Amino acid sequence: MILSGQSPPEIFVDGEERDIKIRPNIAGTEVVLLGATPAGQREIIIEVVGPKRNITLQEKRRFLGLWLGLGKINYNNVPSYYNILSSKPLNEISDQETFNKLGLGLENLPLGKAEIINSDLKQRIFDKRLRTEMQNKGQFLENESSIAVRSGPGKVGLFSTEFFLPSNSLQGKYFVRYFTFRDGNFISYTENTIDLKQAGFSRVVWLTANNFPLIYGLLAVILSGLVGWLVSIIFRQLKIS
Amino acid sequence: MEFYLPIAEMSINPVGFLVLGIVVGTLSGTFGVGGGFLMTPLLILLGIPPAIAVASEANHIVGSSLSGTIGHLRRRAVDIRMGNVLLTGGVLGSIVGILIFNSLKEAGFVDLLVTIAYFFFLTIIGLLMLYESLDSMGLLGHKKRSRFYHHSWVMGLPLKVRFRRSGLYISLIPPYLVGFVVGILSAIMGVGGGFIMIPAMIYILRMPTSVVVGTSLYQIIFITSIVTILHATTNQTVDFVLALILLVGGAIGAQLGVRLSNKLKGPALRVALSILVLSVGIVMGLELILEPDQSITILAGGH
Repeated sequence: MILSGQSPPEIFVDGEERDIKIRPNIAGTEVVLLGATPAGQREIIIEVVGPKRNITLQEKRRFLGLWLGLGKINYNNVPSYYNILSSKPLNEISDQETFNKLGLGLENLPLGKAEIINSDLKQRIFDKRLRTEMQNKGQFLENESSIAVRSGPGKVGLFSTEFFLPSNSLQGKYFVRYFTFRDGNFISYTENTIDLKQAGFSRVVWLTANNFPLIYGLLAVILSGLVGWLVSIIFRQLKIS
Repeated sequence: MEFYLPIAEMSINPVGFLVLGIVVGTLSGTFGVGGGFLMTPLLILLGIPPAIAVASEANHIVGSSLSGTIGHLRRRAVDIRMGNVLLTGGVLGSIVGILIFNSLKEAGFVDLLVTIAYFFFLTIIGLLMLYESLDSMGLLGHKKRSRFYHHSWVMGLPLKVRFRRSGLYISLIPPYLVGFVVGILSAIMGVGGGFIMIPAMIYILRMPTSVVVGTSLYQIIFITSIVTILHATTNQTVDFVLALILLVGGAIGAQLGVRLSNKLKGPALRVALSILVLSVGIVMGLELILEPDQSITILAGGH
């Protein structure tokens, strides 16, 4: 780790990939991010970008007096999770132009090319809606001023923050990108990753359903039938029916 | 408490869904229908994606109809021969239904189809039931019940077979067609089809009401099993965790419902059911007519 009294490199974070297991029956897990910078006027922005997933939007239009979901917009590479954390409000750290150059911020988060079926609208309209929907669902988050910076021993500044991954978070690699700024100027960048794994049962079910669909279908039928049969036995024993 | 559905990829409150199972189970125990036609739209209204709601509900009905059939078999209220004929038509129908479902899914129209199918069938059947039950209560001023029409075309068809338990000697063609149509609907709507099958058995095939529910449930076990496997292999949309939660709730509810139905009068019961069916249909219909708050929404993915 960092030796006291010695100035660290511009930014230091644990470079190891971290494994996090998440269980389906708990609300989720708290992830703590720690790091060090040289002491002094450093501001920090951290972005967490989750694994990509498919998302389909529908556009409802009036057709023969009915509101029908006619337009379909398929995205194949939407981050399933996005969180931007910072040590101060973003507009106090730097200006939008700098953020744009760095590709930093929710506005600059790439959503990938969309396949637009049966709609005349432009992709940027759908992108905007998708960002809002994901924010409403709590999957795209902005947590300004959520990073605590303290001066550590000697010339070291320590920062820490935490964020919450709900239990339904997609498994896979979460990229964590760290940016430091001083006096409105970008100073340094580093990144590491968190590998999230759905633990146990849910994962097995999902893999079986997708890799062995026939076996899964048969098992689903047998299980349902078995439970139904058990129910009839139990209620007969209890003389209820 | 949160519970993660592995296929729907979303967290749900299992207590809420258990209660939903109990409520729908109570209704189905009271009225002698499978309850899928209520459960699937309710699941969709609760945010389960329609494709997953349809497939998982089919999986749920496998268990609930098996449980129900066992009870009816003990009371000798299942016409197995008739069930097998309905089943043969139903198997073909469900395969056709899955083909329709998948071609529309590819074109992106599956949710539309499901909503329209529900609106259409629930409204029509709700109205027919309401009319019939009010009529049988004598509230519509008809002196004589005009329940049984003279189906000369049914009687005139060839390939006649004796169905002993139903006390019928009729052609194989009408039950075969009824099975076929219900099979298509099962695949598209994620229902056992009891709410269509039972009126068809009574009004078209003229089966005695004592064997109607048991026979319908008997063939529903097989149809929904096939539909479940077809959805699992072609769409990977069967969430058996969801199905099992609903099944446990439904089993408790069905027993409550049987007790409740003994306390309620028949025609009043049918009026209540018809109003229920109608209101679910109307809610589905309003979704089509009312302008949505937001015209662009997430349809699938993104939890």
